[in-house]
Amino acid sequence: MRFRRARTLDEALDLLAELGDEAQILAGGTDVMIQYLDGQIAPGTLVHIEGVEELAMASVNHRTTLGPLTTHRTLATDDAFATAHPALAASAGTVGGWQTQAVGTIGGNICNASPAADTAPPLLVADTEVTLTSRRGERRVPLTDFFLERRRTALEPDELLTAIDLDPLPTGAGEVYLKIGRRGAMEVALVGLAVRLGFAGDGTVASAGIALCSIAPTPRRMPDAEAALIGSRLESGALDAAAEALRAAASPIDDARASAAYRIRILRGLLERAALQCREAATR
Amino acid sequence: MTAETQVAVAFGVNGVAQRLEVGPGETLLRTLRDRLRLTGTKEGCVEGECGACTVLVDGKPVDACLFATAALDGRQVRTIEGLSGGGALGLLQQAFVDHGAVQCGFCTPGFLMTLTALLEENPSPPPSDVKEALAGNICRCTGYRQMIDAVAAVIAQGEPR
Repeated sequence: MRFRRARTLDEALDLLAELGDEAQILAGGTDVMIQYLDGQIAPGTLVHIEGVEELAMASVNHRTTLGPLTTHRTLATDDAFATAHPALAASAGTVGGWQTQAVGTIGGNICNASPAADTAPPLLVADTEVTLTSRRGERRVPLTDFFLERRRTALEPDELLTAIDLDPLPTGAGEVYLKIGRRGAMEVALVGLAVRLGFAGDGTVASAGIALCSIAPTPRRMPDAEAALIGSRLESGALDAAAEALRAAASPIDDARASAAYRIRILRGLLERAALQCREAATR
Repeated sequence: MTAETQVAVAFGVNGVAQRLEVGPGETLLRTLRDRLRLTGTKEGCVEGECGACTVLVDGKPVDACLFATAALDGRQVRTIEGLSGGGALGLLQQAFVDHGAVQCGFCTPGFLMTLTALLEENPSPPPSDVKEALAGNICRCTGYRQMIDAVAAVIAQGEPR
């Protein structure tokens, strides 16, 4: 194995053009190093991009742009993010401990494409688009189309994730990320749920975003469940219908952490809790 | 398959400049313990769960077991050996002793490094921040009460570390 440092975006793209699928991008390393040490990956070259300043910029505006090197710690503790993206901030604060959050990046969390990626559900409900750049050019891909299957993404071997664009929480809307684990810290989500709801003046749901992780091979939006809530006042019948849509779209696994049956069973209660918290946050 | 090549890397450890040639996948934990003989940093789980290997890189706590040494070029590392000046314990270390926060001691260097980062970021963090900061450090002996008491005592003294 080799190790190459990219100090600028140009250098990183040149290295990827040269090395293709021999290259493994290394940023904070909290996933890549575990996988390398465990023999799950055997890259020809580690391309270290942590020092590329162009990829570390972040701005909150009418549309938020995050450089992929933005760390979980920044997302979890920066006040501007917490106001514009409360669910994303909450999710980033649940990714491992401080040691992981201090160097682990949002770009890494996305590109690792774990079924349990905590930041994915909040990004999905914020209509996130990712920019993929190579020497051949640049393309923008909705995050829903970026996750192909477990640990597989739409990135071509010579492409680098260079920007993450998402919608801040609109006025009159609320959003939450709720994560079920066996304990309060250092937990891989048994189920992670992000809900973003907008409300009309009469209190009915005007817009809905619902996304889950740890419930299918990839994190995903749940459009049928969203449709079931739109126009409702979160009555129990509407929540029943939305939960049924979640169950229909879910294909969780049994593993050492939880059974598939348990993951399915908690969806209704989790959805209700999230929806009511959205309403409360929106009316504050 | 390309051959394993050595990487030149220059960084500081407890204020001392180091220039090394390391393998591309060598971890900071191996570099500290095996090359530099700084064995105060402990190897626990080697998967980023337990925090026994916590050191500071540019002031931020990281798990040395998952950190590529080759990624350290131009950066500054601090380890438990850097907390005591001339053999005298730092304030936080002394507070751990005074409050019985050390039992087997294996996790202690990691806890001290995380808490050092916390107190340098905010010299008087609320108790909830202390607990949250320690989420990535696991102790199997004392429980955490004595450690939290030790931190509280240091905070009450109004001086970091």
